Amino acid sequence: MESQLQEVGRTIHAALPGRSRHPLRALDQRAMELASQDAELRAALFRFVDVTPACRSLDELARHLTGYLEEVDDRPPPIEAAMRMSGTRPGRAALGAAAAAGVRHMAHRFIVGESPKAALKTIRHLWEHGAAVSLDLLGEATVTEAEADRYAGRCMDALETLAAAAPSWPERPVLEADSLGPLPRVNLSVKVSALTPLLRPEAPEVGREDAARRMRPLLARAKELGAHLHIDMESVDTVEATLGLVFELLDDPELRAGPSAGVVIQAYLRESPEQLEQVLGWASRTERQQPLVVRLVKGAYWDHEIVDARQHGWTPPVFEAKRDSDRNFEVLTRRLVEAWPHVRPAIASHNLRSMAHAVAAARELGREDRDVEFQVLRGLGDDLAAALADLGYRVRIYCPVGDLVAGMAYLVRRLLENTANESFLGEQQRGTPIEELLAAP
Amino acid sequence: MSTATEPSAGFRNEPILELRRAPVRESLSEALRELDARLPLEVPIWIGGDRVLGEGDRRGGAVGGSFASTDPGAPGRVVAHAGRATEDDAAAAVEAAQHGFREWSARSAAERAQVLRGAAAILRERRLELATLQVRECAKPWPEADGDVCEAIDFLEYYAREAVALDEGRTLVQVAGERNTMRYAPRGVVAVISPWNFPLAIPCGMTAAALAAGNAAVLKPAEQSPGSAGALVEALHAAGVPREALSLLPGYGDVGAALVRDPRVHVIAFTGSSAVGLDIVRASAETPERQGHVKRVVSEMGGKNCVIVDGDADLDDVVPEVVYSAFGYAGQKCSAAARVLVHEAAADTLLERLAGAVRVLDVGQAERFATEVPPVIEREAQERVERYAAMAPPLARSERALPDEGWFCAPTLVADLPDDSPILSDEIFGPLLAVTRVRDVDEACDVIDSLPFALTGGLFSRTPATIERVAARLPVGNLYVNRGITGAMVGRQPFGGNRRSGIGSKAGGPDYLLQFVEPRVVTENTMRHGIPVE
Repeated sequence: MESQLQEVGRTIHAALPGRSRHPLRALDQRAMELASQDAELRAALFRFVDVTPACRSLDELARHLTGYLEEVDDRPPPIEAAMRMSGTRPGRAALGAAAAAGVRHMAHRFIVGESPKAALKTIRHLWEHGAAVSLDLLGEATVTEAEADRYAGRCMDALETLAAAAPSWPERPVLEADSLGPLPRVNLSVKVSALTPLLRPEAPEVGREDAARRMRPLLARAKELGAHLHIDMESVDTVEATLGLVFELLDDPELRAGPSAGVVIQAYLRESPEQLEQVLGWASRTERQQPLVVRLVKGAYWDHEIVDARQHGWTPPVFEAKRDSDRNFEVLTRRLVEAWPHVRPAIASHNLRSMAHAVAAARELGREDRDVEFQVLRGLGDDLAAALADLGYRVRIYCPVGDLVAGMAYLVRRLLENTANESFLGEQQRGTPIEELLAAP
Repeated sequence: MSTATEPSAGFRNEPILELRRAPVRESLSEALRELDARLPLEVPIWIGGDRVLGEGDRRGGAVGGSFASTDPGAPGRVVAHAGRATEDDAAAAVEAAQHGFREWSARSAAERAQVLRGAAAILRERRLELATLQVRECAKPWPEADGDVCEAIDFLEYYAREAVALDEGRTLVQVAGERNTMRYAPRGVVAVISPWNFPLAIPCGMTAAALAAGNAAVLKPAEQSPGSAGALVEALHAAGVPREALSLLPGYGDVGAALVRDPRVHVIAFTGSSAVGLDIVRASAETPERQGHVKRVVSEMGGKNCVIVDGDADLDDVVPEVVYSAFGYAGQKCSAAARVLVHEAAADTLLERLAGAVRVLDVGQAERFATEVPPVIEREAQERVERYAAMAPPLARSERALPDEGWFCAPTLVADLPDDSPILSDEIFGPLLAVTRVRDVDEACDVIDSLPFALTGGLFSRTPATIERVAARLPVGNLYVNRGITGAMVGRQPFGGNRRSGIGSKAGGPDYLLQFVEPRVVTENTMRHGIPVE
């Protein structure tokens, strides 16, 4: 199996597009590299990106930017130049405008459009090039009923918009069926925390019930439209409510015939093997007609979980060493592939080794390639998606939609991930040899 | 502090329970069922070694009677029957404390620290039970009840270590031919008068500090929460604090007043209302001829805590943090947020989102894990909150139906009140939050500067220069930036107010024990026949 893995990994690696295909992308990459080398600069840039939506003028933008940069000890020359600009009002206006443009540019790399309608062109383009999408609606935190209702309304709108557009997309057999049957063209990811203001770790049932109230009509409509609804996983605080909600709603007799639905398992959680068994147990018992899609991810809340645990004196719920997460990812991948056809595995990663491992594990267990889906994030996994699509694998790109304000928290998380020294993408960008990229964790 | 050992070396905060885990929640519910089966508890008066509960226990037939603490969420449920201490009991307890002081202060700081840490171990062992007691006696929701028990443990562990370090004294300038030492000695008898809102942690903190420094203590807990205080004294005695060095006087204000007046008391450690606190400061200043010392007062009083929200604040953070700071434990923490001062640019959005968040606040019995706002402590408190709430039209109130029984108040948000509204200046100590618009952060600082209190404060801003300016300008004892303003942790956020909020001691901090000791400097001439012998 290891030799199979190595072979698949090298094939995917060879299919990756050239590094600086797009001049703007190369520029971004340099900014990212700069940021990942200097922790203080990185912090300053994140704080700036974070505050951008709250700034009401170019002057305010420039003041914030220089305020953060002042806390950086060793400022590279371009940053020094920016600081000097901030001395005058016209200078600040120019700096503010440049910085705002920079943030918008970066945001566009990760966010496909302001609304589902605005994103349709990109979605169709991706589909034509062999990649399906799952749409994710970005938004501010939900702290009121009105905000929860608004998010549910946006989800409904996204389903309708996608369902209206999807029939005109060309046929892409790889994306539309696996050996168990057809797969929906329309795929929406939803967040439980956005569907209720009542989600609280010490009383998961309250948030679960309130979110269920808004999730049910979405599932019912997705069923009518033949769409797939994927329930995302967030921080550990919400895992119990989220799994409980999924099990309860999907077992509802009225929803047994559809829609296609899915959950997420986060491999960085120490408890993820038990969680996966819980999901697989449910999936093997349920009378639902369509197998549950299980998206396996590493997990995007690592820093939050670590800090939260340290501040409370708890054992962190996540693996602290990256290699432990990577190893667990492979264990869970195998378990998922074994559990097919009770579940449809979706392997979401930007790690070449993890992806190659999934292919090799599936082949070893006698599964067809099309019975494993690959998922990547818009803006981070584009090259990987292109390579996988070229090689005939089914790949889905997780595409956030929303305005700049709404997208900021998401964007900052993505940026953190992208500039983390240990990230696979970082290693790849630095030209780490293929042997290391594919080495067992 | 320039002592040989790092004062808080090895200290770490007791981890709070992971309530996000279902088995942990089940263990608490189970512990509550066990407690309920044992109610009502009996809390005796402890004077020296004497246990007094019923009339028959009393020496000399003095009549004090007894009183009961009840569940604020179900006033018919008696949680504890306590002996009611009298002024004579206070005198007897102080007399016992004088004896106890001799024995306790003769032990080394390390020995005393060992005993206190033993008490911490007992509390740790009983932590579920002690949390349930607060759920019943004070209607504290689980996270806060558990947090209070952890804080009590922290105080014992922290002061035990601090006292050992303090015992080594300070480093002084030395020159040839003389040896200078500065050491700290305990003061004597400490009267501890504690409130009900942190029924274990606050009496524990004040008592532990007194004992760690080598004093004897007489504890007079709030009449609303004798049960938790009883458990504390039990643990300290069981760990080895001599019974004469620690007495317990459950009862009312008359007992506290008697302790404050007693000329044999050296230190009064008080946490509670401003009115009582200032009375204590006045009464303690009386120094009759036969009193051989000047009394020291530690007085932690009220607040009118404000949170400033700058125009660039992240409202996604502000809303939940402010809501919890204002309405957690029904606003009955001295650190709770009473006012928000919001930059006009962010005001409309903040008000709309805060209003929505207040409407969905879950008001209910403390034992429900979903409860965010429990009842207030007693009928008088409920009436006070309602009186203030009636002074202004609500912008939003919780839409939850209030339970039929219990001292519940609907959490309420008000905004844009006239400057002279009492809601903006009085300490209400309940679930009522007032929002005021300001032109900018500096105007907000002016408002806070004009208030007599200076306990906690909050600032939400993403401008480094603003954070620096506000931190330098505000007089508050504890300023929290970009987070909620309650939940100070021992050793991490030494807690206490300035101005009329308190005398400036910081509970859970490196300076706190200094209130309970007197410094003594010894200078020894080391010259013998013209030769320094050192």
